[in-house]
Amino acid sequence: MSNQNQVQLMAHLVAGYPNLAISLSVADALVQGGASFLEIQLAFSDPSADGPAIQTACASTLAKGFTTKKGFEFIAEVNQRHPNIPLFLMTYASLAYAPGIESFIKKAKEVGVKGVIIPDLPFDQDEGLIAACQKNGIAYIPVAAPSMTPERLHKMTQAKFTYIYAALRAGITGSKTTIDDQTLRFLDAVASGGAKVLGGFGVRTGEQTKSLSNHVYAVVAGSVFINEITAHYNPQNEVESKIKIASAIEAKAKEIIGG
Amino acid sequence: MSDNGFFGSFGGKYVAEVLRRPLDELEDAFNRATIDAAFLEELRLLQRDFIGRPTPLYFAENATKALGGAQIFIKMEGLAHTGAHKINNALGQALLAKTMGKTRIIAETGAGQHGLATAAACAKLGMPCEVFMGEVDIRRQQPNVAAMEMYGAKVIAVKSGSKTLKDAINEAMRDWAAQFDTTHYVIGSALGPAPFPDMVRFFQSVIGKEVQEQSKERKLDVAALCACVGGGSNAIGFFSPFIEKKEPRLIGAEAGGIGPGPNENAVRMSGSAAKDGIVHGYKSRFLLDEDGQVAETRSISAGLDYPGIGPQLASLGLSGRIEFRAITDEKALEALQFFARQEGILFAMESAHAGAVAMQMAKEIPANKAIIINMSGRGDKDIFITSPVFRPVEWELFLQSELDRLHQGVDIHYAKALPSAQKNEGNR
Ligand SMILES: Cc1ncc(COP(=O)(O)O)c(C=O)c1O
Repeated sequence: MSNQNQVQLMAHLVAGYPNLAISLSVADALVQGGASFLEIQLAFSDPSADGPAIQTACASTLAKGFTTKKGFEFIAEVNQRHPNIPLFLMTYASLAYAPGIESFIKKAKEVGVKGVIIPDLPFDQDEGLIAACQKNGIAYIPVAAPSMTPERLHKMTQAKFTYIYAALRAGITGSKTTIDDQTLRFLDAVASGGAKVLGGFGVRTGEQTKSLSNHVYAVVAGSVFINEITAHYNPQNEVESKIKIASAIEAKAKEIIGG
Repeated sequence: MSDNGFFGSFGGKYVAEVLRRPLDELEDAFNRATIDAAFLEELRLLQRDFIGRPTPLYFAENATKALGGAQIFIKMEGLAHTGAHKINNALGQALLAKTMGKTRIIAETGAGQHGLATAAACAKLGMPCEVFMGEVDIRRQQPNVAAMEMYGAKVIAVKSGSKTLKDAINEAMRDWAAQFDTTHYVIGSALGPAPFPDMVRFFQSVIGKEVQEQSKERKLDVAALCACVGGGSNAIGFFSPFIEKKEPRLIGAEAGGIGPGPNENAVRMSGSAAKDGIVHGYKSRFLLDEDGQVAETRSISAGLDYPGIGPQLASLGLSGRIEFRAITDEKALEALQFFARQEGILFAMESAHAGAVAMQMAKEIPANKAIIINMSGRGDKDIFITSPVFRPVEWELFLQSELDRLHQGVDIHYAKALPSAQKNEGNR
């Protein structure tokens, strides 16, 4: 693990964006740039918790013929290349529910997934997801939000989840987050039951990371990387795109970690 | 009422944690409002004076004769203010939001009727209103966009996904997740996470209650009720007093689109394409691909062009209490023309699907019994859809010359006459 006062980064990517080959090199670059965990999103047609950057990435991926099967193959490949980096799968309920939660989680386990984040399967309406995760030795990672009532947050933090993803503010992914005392108090409350807190939503800069560092186990950043990919991707020139994107992603990861 | 948000196995609150508290608070406020005499009285007066309730139950005598079977009645929801049943729910929710202290209203819309109704309700109640509408729907329902803006609402074009109703719902959810402290999201159909399905049915049940009284007053022996089903708000409101009874038959008309193949329709109940799924915060029957991706749908009516169906209707469909039939675009257009010619009543494209079901069934039911069609809306809004079908040449000439006139800045009094109009002059 990284040294004491350096924050760990959980870097988010959309499997297959901007295409399967480049998204593999994005995963490499994130690890190269210091990411300790990867959160891999499987694109869904109706990503209602995501902002424009991730929406666009998901839509583009689906338009190119993305399937869950390809997503799992992608994860397997990333796992093979980076066996020491825990991989967390993020998606929406529909993708897990359609094939059956049990079989979805079994498949996830097979390709090396260590945890799942499915925001629209909350911990008390999880359709058997928590049990399936337990059975397969995968972490169910609930998403806490500052708008939760203290009672509900308490229920979540006392439920012995290994990790809790803490959304730093209301709303959707993407737009910038200001971190203030209230944010930090919220993060401490999320951690109060002993869960490892993954804090994200609108993290773009090393400065934000620094102010979060004593209050989270890892910071999560996603849209910021998607924006780098979108900015540097030129479908006319795959080879050049791949190189440019990889170096931009690596630099951005380093910047966010503050290393 | 649902059982804690569920209708059988359907319904629920499958939302990200961020939306949980706003939903729980809404549920509390709604439950209190349903037993609050002052709220209910204010709603009743607005229903009477602003919406224009009760709407008539009309005996379609000519249609009855032409079809040669059961007596055909039409519940005239299209005469409600803003032209459809949507106002029943929009006004109810906006009033509830106001009592909750919300200062901003958002809504999604497909056909534009719900957006229009919400815009009007907000103008009346003095609340700012923003309406999310798919780019495709903005094009096909332009008259409603113009009217919403007239009422002071801001119409926001949704460019993500299939750019239709489902994407407008996503966008409204995103907005709400960021601003629920000040904002209420007025969902336009009996779907979404709890408490929306219960709440929308509650406000729409005024349709069914009136029908129950009106048919009792006239001593009708009602054999069947027919309603079109997009998300299902007009249907569930119309059916609601009868759900627990064995009679009459309750029939939902779904969009059969251009055919039975994938992506050609929005048939969730009567075909075999749909499956159980969790989308838009609730569990129900959805048109999904193998992976659970939401399928594209197709219908001539924007309001029925939606891949899911309200959880209560889905549950009642599985239990057999409600029958579903798919009506193609073509059959809906035939019904539209039939009722316009026979009765001088212009159905909305959506409602014409319900009319088509009644036309199919009339002969199977004896003349001493009644079939009631819920005409959920009137057809004025569909002029851009029906004109190219029924009078393509004249319509094209009109649009072209109107555009020319706009470009040239010519006042209508001095503009060149329409070429087709000149031709007709000679014939008269
Ligand atoms: C006139 C009319 N009827 C029916 C519908 C379908 O909605 P629902 O199934 O919720 O009644 C719409 C929706 O826009 C509509 O405008």
